[in-house]
Amino acid sequence: MTEAHELQTREKHELEGEGTRPGPVFRPDVDILERQDAYVIYADLPGVDDRSIDVRLDRGELTLDARQAAPPDAGWRPLHAEYRLGSYHRVFRVSEDIDGEAVTARMNAGVLELTLPKSAARKPRAIPVRPG
Amino acid sequence: MAQISPSRHGGVDPWRDFDRLRREMNALLGNFGSASPLASGHRGVYPAVNLYETDDAYVLTAELPGVAGDDIRVLVEGNTVTVEGARQVAYADEEGVSLHRRERQSGRFRRAFELPAAIAADAVEAVHRNGVLELRLTKTPEAQPRQISVKAG
Repeated sequence: MTEAHELQTREKHELEGEGTRPGPVFRPDVDILERQDAYVIYADLPGVDDRSIDVRLDRGELTLDARQAAPPDAGWRPLHAEYRLGSYHRVFRVSEDIDGEAVTARMNAGVLELTLPKSAARKPRAIPVRPG
Repeated sequence: MAQISPSRHGGVDPWRDFDRLRREMNALLGNFGSASPLASGHRGVYPAVNLYETDDAYVLTAELPGVAGDDIRVLVEGNTVTVEGARQVAYADEEGVSLHRRERQSGRFRRAFELPAAIAADAVEAVHRNGVLELRLTKTPEAQPRQISVKAG
């Protein structure tokens, strides 16, 4: 456990030329895990709720788009800004062994958890060995 | 071998990079300007915050994705607000699990802010929604603007 580590703020990674939407587009930080039966992607999407996410899998590319659920209240006068608000975009290349129909997405505290199950044909299978 | 990998975008365009650098510099200079009510030198300090003001309150927001509400502590004393906690990014160390990419950080954080006016410590609202902490810090009655009615002489 890295409990003693002090967190550091990193500049959000802004993408250029992604713009179909107004405002900056950022590349979210992700972790990618492989389990025996699935790949799992965790993406930091602060300010995004479960209705503001679009995940598409098309010809081996998984595209993630998300936008801020709520902009700051119109009555708030900005005094100081250290981070910017915007939308998020990231593309992943996915191998063919993903079962596209079975991909699931879940949001929890601004973190997206995407589970991409491997298709049955590619899962490691235990072959029972019978005594002869 | 990684089976899932983030795609790279195009080649390198030095002018585009230069333009981005210039904008980032401007943003930083803006943030460090003397008009800033928060202590300067925030760079790298976690979490980054935005501060807003209304007539009766300050609103401080911080992006803390993946941090449980129970792992955040907010302390108010006079006009100083302290936010501290921990972000735990841990994956079960099971057999057959491999980590292909690791960008999300975990660790502890602690940051104190001095606000321009005194805060009513008993009237602080903290909401953690969609990974964003929103602190509504009500100014003490003395610090709020008062409407002075002008009577005809």
